[in-house]
Amino acid sequence: MDDTLRQRLDSTFDSLRIVEKGTNNTSIAVGRNAVMSVLSFLKQSGYDHLHAISCVDWIDKGALELVWVLSRYMRPGEQYDPKHAENLLLRTMIPRDPARMVSSIPLFEVAEPYEREIHELFGVDFEGHPRLIPLFLERSYDTPPFRKDFDTRQYVEDFFESIPSIVEDGGEGE
Amino acid sequence: MRIVWLFLSPLIALVAGVLLLGLSRKIMARIHWRYGPPLLQPVIDIIRLFSQRSASHGILFDLGIVVSLAGSLIITLFLPFGNIAPLSGSGGMLVILYMMLIGPLGIALSGGESGNPNASIGISRNLMLAIGYEVPLLMVLLAVMTRYGTISIVEIVRVQQASTWSIASWPLVVSGLAYLLVMPAMLGFRPFEVVQAPQEISSGPMVEYGGSYLALVSIQHALSLYITISLFVNLMLGGSGNIVIFLFKMLVVFVLFLFVNAVFPRFRIEQAVRYLWRWPTLIGLIGLVLVALVGR
Amino acid sequence: MDRNQLIKWLEAPAKMGHKYSLHAVYFCTGCGIIEVPPSITARWDAERFGVLPTASPRQANLFLITGYVSVKTLKAIIRTYEQMPEPKYTVGFGSCPINGGMYWDSYNTIKHLDKYIPIDGWIAGCMPRPEAIFVAVTHLWTLIDKDMADGYKRYRKYYSQYRANQEKVLLGLEWPPLFPIEAG
Repeated sequence: MDDTLRQRLDSTFDSLRIVEKGTNNTSIAVGRNAVMSVLSFLKQSGYDHLHAISCVDWIDKGALELVWVLSRYMRPGEQYDPKHAENLLLRTMIPRDPARMVSSIPLFEVAEPYEREIHELFGVDFEGHPRLIPLFLERSYDTPPFRKDFDTRQYVEDFFESIPSIVEDGGEGE
Repeated sequence: MRIVWLFLSPLIALVAGVLLLGLSRKIMARIHWRYGPPLLQPVIDIIRLFSQRSASHGILFDLGIVVSLAGSLIITLFLPFGNIAPLSGSGGMLVILYMMLIGPLGIALSGGESGNPNASIGISRNLMLAIGYEVPLLMVLLAVMTRYGTISIVEIVRVQQASTWSIASWPLVVSGLAYLLVMPAMLGFRPFEVVQAPQEISSGPMVEYGGSYLALVSIQHALSLYITISLFVNLMLGGSGNIVIFLFKMLVVFVLFLFVNAVFPRFRIEQAVRYLWRWPTLIGLIGLVLVALVGR
Repeated sequence: MDRNQLIKWLEAPAKMGHKYSLHAVYFCTGCGIIEVPPSITARWDAERFGVLPTASPRQANLFLITGYVSVKTLKAIIRTYEQMPEPKYTVGFGSCPINGGMYWDSYNTIKHLDKYIPIDGWIAGCMPRPEAIFVAVTHLWTLIDKDMADGYKRYRKYYSQYRANQEKVLLGLEWPPLFPIEAG
């Protein structure tokens, strides 16, 4: 991560923790209320490409962690700097219940499908998202299926194994 | 005797066309270093398709195929095949020129009724390609008609038998070149395989055909292969007074274009039309002017 | 072609046609489809058995289900299967369609495909090699010869059960029943 950017971040925001572990592994941990301002700050500092939004379920801590993966494009006339090629992770912890977050669509329009996916698989409600309808799943689940307390084995035994085999009266069936 | 040939010549055309289809699959396989299907695989496919249940999509869906097949069958009566030419005394080249558009048109009517978007794309490409190759083909046919001063194919074949083949005689060799360049488009071979294009528009107009409908379309395809090649042999390679020699000439022409088919990728439709309206049309026009200047 | 074959052709041309002209739908589910390109191209050349991929389900009579089936894929599979003209044959390829395979304890994978559409034969393995497809094709020939590849007849006969299972797992279907369902 660029040193000047680090200094600017430190001076602008107070409750911000920057962790740098080796190359291409820099993360910024912020409180959930500061996410939008840090995102817009990073966007103005050149990190204007949102790769993905991801979610981690820390069931022991009782929290969900949302991760925004940002990167930047080279500007015309800019010298290549390996520090600029690195991705930047913006992380925040939100409570598992109720899991709420502000939608980042006003800043990054590409966030729309990622937020839909996280809503579907982790049950996070994004406030301000225009249509939080299912993206991948055809069925509805009581617990969102990617949460750690979703017992897939139990679900398979309860639901899929309960579907009856085809009963054939011709005598050829098993 | 003429009545017998009226019934026999479409049958011969059908058998020859289906055999050509089977041969094309075998030769293509050998070029790909595969063993390939049996020679009679198209016959097996057609038997299978006729015995499958098939769903219709409306009256025009049924009628379009019939129109297309009937158009192709009628052309076989007008085309001399060796020394057999049941109806060629009445009609000649102009009839064939008209009827050759009925094949694609019938498929277009029928495929359009199915309402599948892939079929619509295939149909628009089919008609576009037909317009693309009809223009240079018209130049070539006009040159041939001017050269021999007749529209009767039987007469043209007779003159060629007496002297030399058209493609080997001076002013017509230019038109012959143009004809050679258009042939892959008329046969629907690569690089002009834009109509079916299974990888991009799932076999185009045929996407909704199943069962006996697809069987009829395969038969129509076989017939159109036969018609295109035999027209070329009659006009350019001197036809023949003998069925065996005629078939042999057809085989040589077919295998030639099969080699082209095996090694080329596919044009996009606008590239295909641009090519067809540039090179073959230009060469055909030069050929026509040459024939008009040199005279007969 | 020997004499027995010729007699069979004369006795039952339709059956022989179905045997030697198996056109498969080019439909990919899961990872098994990676074995299909080598088996239809120069290395294994499926065309010498009359097996050819077709682009449209209307033209096909063989349905190769090549890998795990998610709930969303099941919907597409049912649609494709119902569009194919009869007689049609289905073969499950790999262990995932048989019982879920290594994806058994997943919230979104279909475990037993034969509860939703009829299957005429299975190819076990993860992955089966392309040779296994040809073994399956020759087995399918035997089954067709003995009238045992009757999946499409079973689908018609027990359609109410199949439809009930499909609706249960997909939470209702958008299209009307293919065959009339008798009450009760």
